[in-house]
Amino acid sequence: MKEKRKRHTVARWWLIGLLTVAVFADFIANDRPLIASVNGETRFPVLHEYGETLGLAEHYSPVVRSWKRVETDWAIWPVVPYSAGGTDLKNGNYRSPFGEQDTGDRARHWLGTDELGRDVAAGLIRGTRIAVLVGFGSVLISLLLGIPLGGIAGFFGNHGLRAPRYHWWGWAVGGTLGVLYASLSLIPFYRLESTVAITGLAISCFALGGWLFRSLLSFIPALKKETAFPADTLVLQGIELFVNIPALVLLIALIAIINQPSIGIVVLIIGVLRWPSVARYLRAELLRIRSLPYIEAARVNGIPKWRILFRHALPNALGPLLIVSSFALGGAVLLEAFLSFLGIGIPADEVTWGSLLRQSRTHPQAWWMAVFPGLLLTGTVLAANLLGEEG
Amino acid sequence: MLSYALRRLLYLPLSLFLLSLLCFGLRAITPGDPVESQLPPAESRTASSKPAAYDASYRRAAAALGYDLPTFYFSLNNAALPDTLHRIGRPAERRMLRALTLSSGNWPAVQDYYLAVRQLAFGEDTEAGINSIPVARRLLLQDDPKAVAAAVNSLPDDQLSQPVKAAFSQVMDGSQRHRLLLPAFRWHGAQNQYHHWLLRILSGDFGNSYLDRRPVASKIGQAMRWTILLNGIAILLVYLVSLPVGLYAAGYRGSRFDRYSTTLLFILFGLPSFWIATLVTNYFTTPAFGMDFFPSMGFGDIPDGASWWTALKIRGSHLFLPVMCLAYPSFAYVSRHLRRSAVKELDQAYVTTARLKGLSRSQILWKHVLRNASFPIITLLGGLFPALLAGSVLIERIFNLPGMGQLLYTAAVGRDWPIVITLVLLNGLLTAAGLLLADLAYAFTDPRVRLGSATTFTNNAA
Repeated sequence: MKEKRKRHTVARWWLIGLLTVAVFADFIANDRPLIASVNGETRFPVLHEYGETLGLAEHYSPVVRSWKRVETDWAIWPVVPYSAGGTDLKNGNYRSPFGEQDTGDRARHWLGTDELGRDVAAGLIRGTRIAVLVGFGSVLISLLLGIPLGGIAGFFGNHGLRAPRYHWWGWAVGGTLGVLYASLSLIPFYRLESTVAITGLAISCFALGGWLFRSLLSFIPALKKETAFPADTLVLQGIELFVNIPALVLLIALIAIINQPSIGIVVLIIGVLRWPSVARYLRAELLRIRSLPYIEAARVNGIPKWRILFRHALPNALGPLLIVSSFALGGAVLLEAFLSFLGIGIPADEVTWGSLLRQSRTHPQAWWMAVFPGLLLTGTVLAANLLGEEG
Repeated sequence: MLSYALRRLLYLPLSLFLLSLLCFGLRAITPGDPVESQLPPAESRTASSKPAAYDASYRRAAAALGYDLPTFYFSLNNAALPDTLHRIGRPAERRMLRALTLSSGNWPAVQDYYLAVRQLAFGEDTEAGINSIPVARRLLLQDDPKAVAAAVNSLPDDQLSQPVKAAFSQVMDGSQRHRLLLPAFRWHGAQNQYHHWLLRILSGDFGNSYLDRRPVASKIGQAMRWTILLNGIAILLVYLVSLPVGLYAAGYRGSRFDRYSTTLLFILFGLPSFWIATLVTNYFTTPAFGMDFFPSMGFGDIPDGASWWTALKIRGSHLFLPVMCLAYPSFAYVSRHLRRSAVKELDQAYVTTARLKGLSRSQILWKHVLRNASFPIITLLGGLFPALLAGSVLIERIFNLPGMGQLLYTAAVGRDWPIVITLVLLNGLLTAAGLLLADLAYAFTDPRVRLGSATTFTNNAA
């Protein structure tokens, strides 16, 4: 038991370390110094870059294109003084970490270089950022989709949500029609192009259409009978349909369609394809929780059911769900490496663990390009699996 | 039991129908021009030299392939867009007409404009039209209203381009944008692209590959043989090794064998197989490190008249590494799950009874525990069919084997949609069938499982 806890601690620290590296990637590997003094002026080139991207700061003048050629009074460099994409032609043609390197005053390429002298260590650090982005991002999306669906299905079941028929039919039909009308007529009519405006219009049309239809249908006597919303059946059927989709094959097909590969799309697709496992787990967990005495007590006390769900039932189910979703984290990181290894979906100029591995195939002698990314990937998957196994 | 099986069988067509819609949708949103890729190369070459002739042959091809039909059984749109837009074969022209109609709302005027531009673009090639004809040809493909206005203004003021200018001013003047606010529902009946496509698929005609114009079915058939061979051996290996390992680890729980195998299996399960495969190909199939033990790529050629032993040796040396890389993750997965459920079973009363009866430990394990603990094996069996394709994409890529995974990759990268879509459909069918089989097999091995109730669904699907 003690040993297990120790392993869990190691795994947790691994993931935390990965997250830290991802957040501070630019401060760990960069071909610009962190702080430098040029002709008496103190500059913070890395930090300043953020300011420029956010539009908060102007360019330093004179502009420095290549810091390694600049005479500085003094400078503090990052641990790895190279950038992921930056070439170092003097050390090109696959320099081994232990072999001879011609770096002059600069630090060695600790983990070797590739054909164009790009630093492998810097590439790994950049790859960490992408792995973390894809891993956490897609898990977040699958949680966002899976928690509401699984929560409602598990907590209310098929009989927990009761309302007159016109309520359900009105919202379903009216909402759909509203969104359809918005997308077919209103958006081209008002020539909307920004995503925010389109989403806002779609949501308001859904609400308006739903409310309108609900009020209209409430005059029909046949629809006044109170019925339960079959949430559980609907969600289960949705899961069943999704499970039948060949995820990986579809992913390859979808990603190859998209003209401009981007990480955001990969994150979105992986997240959407993974919601069923989240929903299924949460549903099973809430089925168990809702029959526990304290929920019964809350119900008897007259606490509204939505409040019971959000304040009492869900918080108890989220802990185990988060533990299990670290499995999904490992899976998503693996999938990202897999895709960039194949060279699809991820932009070609991004350096990732998978793209380094792919590069190693063209030059088998460069063992450092195959071993180090693989070790990082394996460590991450093992850490995620360890945490996901749960006590 | 039977009713559950029937219900699942009813779901199957529904899932497949949705999958077919999805595939058709993918086909429809795919960038690129499907008709153009089917035209004979000789025709495509006339595109720049004889545009009018090319346009005519394009239209014939589009009609022959059914691309001038409506997309689906019905369409929902605003009233400004006509219900005949699908008759325009070329996607770029369709986009242009759509954009102009949406910006003016006046379809009849847009139609007149379109006819005038076509008249100019594909009419007689005269000296007078030396400036205006190229502009008109570009206009046919220009879908930005502002750029269209600029191009129309740049046309010379002569006899030839007068109709275009007049028609365009009609488009812009008679603004009827309010028609955009009216919704329109149109029913097209069975004469539509989806219907035809589905009928063709159902009758076994999957079309021709865009890349080399060979029939999709024969390409997939050829690749499938290799994938089945590869995966068949891998699955066999998985069961041969993981059954004893999982059972004995559980039977001798806490022993050294159990502890070592559990740790080893956990690590094996976490090792990404494509990393291992890359390492293995780098080290053992290339002379880079002096360990060139295995032939590098492909399945190897067997010379004519070779004895079966030579044939086996050649195939074996080519298959050994890919099969190992394909098998070890599932091997680790099955063993771990088998151990876990066998440990649970060993605590049951019937095991104690069997032991009291004097049965040996291996008798208990193989005769009593295995059957009850065999659920993970069945789960894997369900996942086996989709894994046939998915799992071998990477392995076939890395070892350069001409199987279905490799085919999927090359087709997806080369935008060879007939093949990609057929593979997605096939995989969906296999996934659904695999899950169904696993569910049914589950019920047969364990009569206690009452299928159909909601709780069992979650248990077996988890």
